[in-house]
Formats: sequence, structure tokens, C-alpha cells
Amino acid sequence: MKLLLIEDEKALATSIQNYFQRENFICEWAADYRTAVEKINIYRYDCVLIDLMLPDGDGLDAVRELKRNYPETGIIIISAKNSLDDRITGLNLGSDDYLTKPFHLSELNARVQAVIRRRNFQGSQQIRFGKIQIEPQEHLVLVDGHEIILTRKEYDLLVYLIANKNRVLTKESIAEHLWGDDADLMDNFDFIYTHIKNLRKKLMDKGCPDYLKSIYGVGYKFSEQ
Amino acid sequence: MKLLERILKYQIITSLCVLTLGAILFYFSVNYLINQEVNKELMHSRTKVSWQLRHIDELPVYILQLGDSLQLEPVRSPGHTVLVERKLFNQFENEYQPYRQLIFYERVEGTWYRVTISKLLAQRRQLLEAVVMTVTFIVALLLISLLILNSWLSRRLWRPFYKTLRALDSYQLEKHEVLTFSRQHTIEFEQLNQSVTQFTDRLAATYQNLKEFTENASHEIQTPLAVILSKIEGLFQDESLKESQLVALSEISEAANRLARLNQALLLLTKIENRQFLAGTEPIDLAPIINRKLRDLEDLIEQRGITVKTSAEATGPVMHPALAEVLVNNLLTNAIRYNIQGGTIEVTLTAGKLIVRNTGTPIHIDPELLFERFRKEGTHSASLGLGLALAKTICQVNGQTLTYKTDGPWHILTVDW
Repeated sequence: MKLLLIEDEKALATSIQNYFQRENFICEWAADYRTAVEKINIYRYDCVLIDLMLPDGDGLDAVRELKRNYPETGIIIISAKNSLDDRITGLNLGSDDYLTKPFHLSELNARVQAVIRRRNFQGSQQIRFGKIQIEPQEHLVLVDGHEIILTRKEYDLLVYLIANKNRVLTKESIAEHLWGDDADLMDNFDFIYTHIKNLRKKLMDKGCPDYLKSIYGVGYKFSEQ
Repeated sequence: MKLLERILKYQIITSLCVLTLGAILFYFSVNYLINQEVNKELMHSRTKVSWQLRHIDELPVYILQLGDSLQLEPVRSPGHTVLVERKLFNQFENEYQPYRQLIFYERVEGTWYRVTISKLLAQRRQLLEAVVMTVTFIVALLLISLLILNSWLSRRLWRPFYKTLRALDSYQLEKHEVLTFSRQHTIEFEQLNQSVTQFTDRLAATYQNLKEFTENASHEIQTPLAVILSKIEGLFQDESLKESQLVALSEISEAANRLARLNQALLLLTKIENRQFLAGTEPIDLAPIINRKLRDLEDLIEQRGITVKTSAEATGPVMHPALAEVLVNNLLTNAIRYNIQGGTIEVTLTAGKLIVRNTGTPIHIDPELLFERFRKEGTHSASLGLGLALAKTICQVNGQTLTYKTDGPWHILTVDW
């Protein structure tokens, strides 16, 4: 998978690049609008991450450019602007998602994967991990071919964990993924623990090995080892 | 009491006192003058009568003025000369009338006579009354016309003052307006208006600066926060880190997350206060928002064993749809957060009113104080303390009222529009 990151903040760009490289994605970086447009017109990307405020231009123009010439490329806007108008303009122009700074890299990763999955019209949209098989369109989860019934939150949690497999996920990032703006309602993270516990039980009941490791004081990690 | 009414009140009281005192004083001074005059005339008459009695046997008829009477009575011994006032019967008028009498004694050819000269006072009294009445009437008339003129003038002259007062009364800081007035001829009012204009001008500028500062600060904080959070997340993946380092990192991450949320909430609050969200044009139906929000929060509600009762008509105020979402979200999350285990939430939406009632622990401060930023009752560490401040601000900019009441275990938040 090939990504293009258009972001003028070098430190942030490096973090994002490192994160996606571990995912075996090729993540190229453009620090300004001019370079970005150049790259868009030369190479093909599966998904482009665009910061709206660039030193020499408006990220929204890059969105327009992409939409006009390469409509099959996925677009995610990452911006410090959280104004509703920007969000609506961005989405109306055809971007697939809008993420407000600051965000969790795991969240960005999950969204990028969701966009690529949705954009991947020809191929299968199936998610596979060990014995687990997910059909996102039907919200169907199978373990060894047997369907298991998950609640909405448990399903979201599972997709999120698999998208960020082999990584340490903090409790905050999980909370924010599941509850969004209401995440600050969690007085403690018991809620996450309850969901994790239920999910783990449902998976293991169907003969799934324990993929979920809890990392003391930090959060969780979903991996096969 | 209005300023003009107060001024008028004092003017009337003073005028009445002066009028009464003046009338009394005038009456007595005129009366005194008349008495002096009568006495002088009586003394004059006495001199004439004495002379006549000593030099001629008979008194001529004309010696005393008309209306006066003269009586001569022989007495054995003389007494003191006295001046008295008494009522005597007047045959012409057929009634008792006031007279002033001078009684003195005179010796004529060896015999003492008591001489009494009586002077009718009636006409003089009438004159006195007429004079006092006329003067009092004129002065009263003058005072009344002065008062009327005064109040009319005041009302007219104070008009610019009331105009300024009304403008100040309806002044709204959030609209960034500067109050300007037309030129006034009265120096004081012109000064007042100039001060008000300068004051509101400074106020608007300060407000604008503050708004820009908050926005910029909030905005510029987002990017470094994004860097911090991304670096922390990168570090978490480093498997060579010890557990204690991971825990410390986790705490840094928590704090940074909290800072990010706080920053976003403050930014939103500032935007709402600065009216960056245009008012909506049509009513927003709150019922679907409430139902969707309750569905989103259902696992939290379940976890706490909270019972939710909803009765919602399809109605709502005219407002920005995004703000309606934030408002409903904050009211509901507030009702969940501060609820007790196994508590109840009642949401009632009727025309012009949204009521969210929840059970909770009693609070010990005025519930209205909880609308202040960062004001929390108790220590809910995860709470930013901005939820109700946000709800209040949204209601304020949309012309709705948000009230917080407690009733025993019930906490009742009501939005009226």
C-alpha cells in the first residue's frame, strides 16, 4: 500500500511515517503544497493524508486536484481546524474522512485501513486475523467459520484491535475510538475493561487462542504470539 | 423613584413651605402696619379732642372722622390711658364689628371725664384680607407655573440622558458594537456620551483581542499536542522499554490527552461565544438527536444500571444543528456522569421546553454556580468541568434559557425557548 502524507510539521510527519512503515506501507511525505501536487501528478497512491493548513497553499485545493484527476484515491483530511464548516467542505469535496489534530496514530491507522478497504472495490473487503474472519459489509464475525454475535461496541473494538495488531494500544485511544467525544465520560477505564473481557470471552468460547495481551499500566496488544 | 420625580418632590415641598411661611409673615406684617396706622390716627384724634375739651365747650361734629365715635363720661378719678380692641354693636350694619378704642381721661373745669374714641376696623380688615389673598394667589400661581416649567424643561433636557441609558441597557458585548450618539448641546451629556463611546470602543477592542488570542492559542496548541501524542505512541511500540518507563509514559499520554480534550472544549466554547456558528433558520427536531445520543451512550447507562425514561415530541428550537448536538450531548452525559448507581434519568421534550432530570447526590452549592467554567462539585477526575458551561453558552447565544434546580435527589436542567 502506498500513502502520501501532506503535512508541514516535520516531527509529526516522521511519527506518522514510522508508524505506517511498521505496517509495511510505503509512506511518502510532502511538506508543502507544491511538492504535494507534484507527487500526486507523478505517482499513484492508495490513500493521501492531507493537512489543510500548508505554508504555500490550502489543502482543500489538493483534495480538489485529487478528486478531479484521480478519483479512486482515498483521501483523509487531518487538520487542526475543527470548525464544522471545514469538516463539511472537506467531506463535500469528496474526502473519505476527517480527523482533527491531535489524534492517536492508531486511530489514523484504523481509518486509513477502513478507507483502503472501502476503496478496494475489486478485491475482497474481508479482514482476516488468525482464526478470525470479518465481513465488514455484513458486520459479520466468524471464528473458524462459526459466526459469533458481538455487540456494536465489541465489533468496533475488534476491528480496531485488528487494524492495529501487534501494537500497544493505550486505553485512551481505545476509549476515544469507541466513544469519540464522550470518551471523557470514562471516570476510569472500567468500561473498556468490561468490553475487552466480554470480547475475549466470546472469542475464546469459539476456540480462538487468547490474542489479547494486557500491557500493565498502558493498555492492550492484539497479536498472534 | 425617577430622578425627575425626586427633584419635583423636593421642589413642591420647598415651595409649599415657602408659600405658607411667606403668607403668614405677610399677613402679620400687613396687620402690624395697619394697627400702627390706626393707633397713630387714634393718638392724633386724642390730641385734637383734648385741645377742644380744654379750649371750647362743645366739640365740633367733624372733629372725628366718619365711623368713629366719641364718648364722654364724667368720672370721679382718672385711670390709665388704654388702647383696646373689642367688638361693638353697629347700628348701621346691624351687627357686631371690631373696633379699636382709645380710652383716656381729661379734666375739664375741675371734673374728670373718661374719653373713649372708637375706630371701626372692618374696612381695614377687609383690605388686609384682600391684599394678603391677592399676593398669596400671585405667588402660588408663580410657583405652580415655575414647577410646571421646570418639570417640562427637565423632561426635555434630560431626554439625551435617557437615550444613553437605554442604549447602555441594551448593550451586548458579544456583538462587538461601539455605541455612538448624536451631538448634544448640554456639555455634561456630551461628556457622558463621549465617555460611553470611548468605553464601549475599548471594550470591543479588548474583546476582539481576547477572542483572537484564545483562538490562536488554542489553534497553535493543537499541532505540538499532535506531535507529543504521536511520539508517545511511537515510544509505546519500543519493546526495550521497562515496565516503569511504560507506566510513566502512559501517565504522560493521559495528561496530554486530557490537555488536548480541554483545548478542544475551550476552542469550541470560544467559537460559540464569538458567534462563529450562524444561527439556524429553522427549528431543529431534538427528538432524533436525543434518541441517537442515548443509543450511543447505552453501554454507559447499562453499566451504571440507570433507568432512562424518555417522552419526546417532535419539536425543538431554531438553532445551528451542530450546537443542538453538543447541547443534547452535554445535558445527557452530565445526567449520566453525576448519576448514582441504579439511578434514573427522565428526558421530557415538549413544545418550548426540554427537561433533563436525573437522580444524583445532593449538591451543597448554588446549582447555578455549576454553569461556571471548571466548576465541579466533588472530584470527577475525568470531567473537564466545561460541559455545563458549554451548554449554558449555547443557550445564551441562541436566546434560550438554561436553568439548574435541585429537588431532593433530583437534579433538573431545563432549556426554555
